[in-house]
Amino acid sequence: MGGYLDYIAGESILHRLNPLTKLCLSFVLCVCCFVSDSHWVVAGVMALNVLLAAVAGRQVLRRSCHMLRALVKFSLFLFVLQVLFVRDGAVLLRLPFGLLVTDLGVSFSLLFVMRLMGATMPLALVLSVTPMNDIAAVLVEKLHVPYKYSFTLMTAVRFIPIFAHEMAEIMEAQTARGVEFDTRNFFRKIRLILPLCVPLLISSVRKIESGAIAVELRGFNCRKRGCAYKRYDILPRDLLAMASGIALLAAIAAL
Amino acid sequence: MIEFDHVSFEYAEATTINDVSFRLVAGDFVALIGANGAGKSTISKLCNGLLKPSRGHVLLDGDDTRGLRTSALARKVGFLFQNPDRQICQNSIRAEIMFGLENVLADAAECQCRCDDVLAAFGFDGAADPFSMSRGERQRIALASLIACRPPMLILDEPTTGLDYRECMQIMEQIQALNDAGTTVLMVSHDMEIVQDFARRVLVLNQGRLLGDGPKDQIMADPALLAQAKLLPSQITALALRMGFNNVHTVDDMVAAVSATAS
Repeated sequence: MGGYLDYIAGESILHRLNPLTKLCLSFVLCVCCFVSDSHWVVAGVMALNVLLAAVAGRQVLRRSCHMLRALVKFSLFLFVLQVLFVRDGAVLLRLPFGLLVTDLGVSFSLLFVMRLMGATMPLALVLSVTPMNDIAAVLVEKLHVPYKYSFTLMTAVRFIPIFAHEMAEIMEAQTARGVEFDTRNFFRKIRLILPLCVPLLISSVRKIESGAIAVELRGFNCRKRGCAYKRYDILPRDLLAMASGIALLAAIAAL
Repeated sequence: MIEFDHVSFEYAEATTINDVSFRLVAGDFVALIGANGAGKSTISKLCNGLLKPSRGHVLLDGDDTRGLRTSALARKVGFLFQNPDRQICQNSIRAEIMFGLENVLADAAECQCRCDDVLAAFGFDGAADPFSMSRGERQRIALASLIACRPPMLILDEPTTGLDYRECMQIMEQIQALNDAGTTVLMVSHDMEIVQDFARRVLVLNQGRLLGDGPKDQIMADPALLAQAKLLPSQITALALRMGFNNVHTVDDMVAAVSATAS
């Protein structure tokens, strides 16, 4: 998970856009997935995400493809779960225990998982092409979000890969003690993971506490909106990008 | 007991271990030394199957670790991590020791018996909360939990990092006692003083390749080899080499060498 959220340095047009523009564009792309009920439109938005990743560079594209693959695996699980609970429409398949697969169920579930994928990808793309500090700073400068909240949000995102790494290390340590994390039985694995919440929780609380003390000792509470030295001006290319996004949204809504 | 046969390991398209071969026999006390990023932790994880080699074979008692699960290897190889907090997951020392035992032993009475033995040997109060103890004590709890399982081989990944001298000696003396009783020990360490004081054989690693493998006295008396691995000999050895004494690795060795010269 961590790898999907790290910044990848680059000089592409996406890297050079104002962080606020990128956030707005990603929001617009998310909304686009929900304003239309057409599978083709949502597929188009997903394709646009991949195209934008290609514009941002080979590394970003590779990561987006990896992420798409991971999302497809997760979506398959959700699709199966969803399709079994929609009972409206023509029955395509009757399963044991009174379960049905209907045409509406398939269509709705497919749209549901496609929306999930289409709405997840833009935010991950923004995080790939924008340093976390820039996102925090632009939220404070342009949207007047209190620094405390912006910092908290960014720290939470930053901690995801750290905790993922920590969890992997804890699982290694427990496997070395004979805990069968290397079992192929998914449900057994889940049951074994539960006791690991203790060391993860302990280390998380310790990390967060020491992090909080470290920032407080460096005057965190004295920080105001004007403290940041970097400015994030909106340039013509940002206006053009935002206009393109709004035009796309309007076009999809009009369909 | 464990044999690396032309082992290479690639991680994320980069080779971290390159054609490494060595063999540990029962009762060995081997130190694995090298600079950061040399591949020490990778080798230690290859020993207990946490990592599988990209090329070559790691054989444990003749069995290739590729075909064995790490959880099953836990009966033969105990692994002490640098950070005890990744290992400790129970709210009392007794429960922590029992947790490891129950993973590898089916007999409940035997588990209780071994747990009591280890608690007595380490002087722990079984009801105490491990998370409220010092770092050194938590490392001892992690070691106690491993020892209770009585694996014939112990891998220690920088076991004394972050400990003060007293805590460090407590841990190392317990490891020494285990080795004296026949347990094979492979210790990854940066601390050349600890290596000098406890290891009998040293493996020197540099950029994933094995630069040296030999008795401690031979390896530590070769500053060129250590420099190649971006390491320095311990201060007492460096001083002795400058004074022209060979095979001086401890204060006692130095006193003996100086006394012999004076007389």
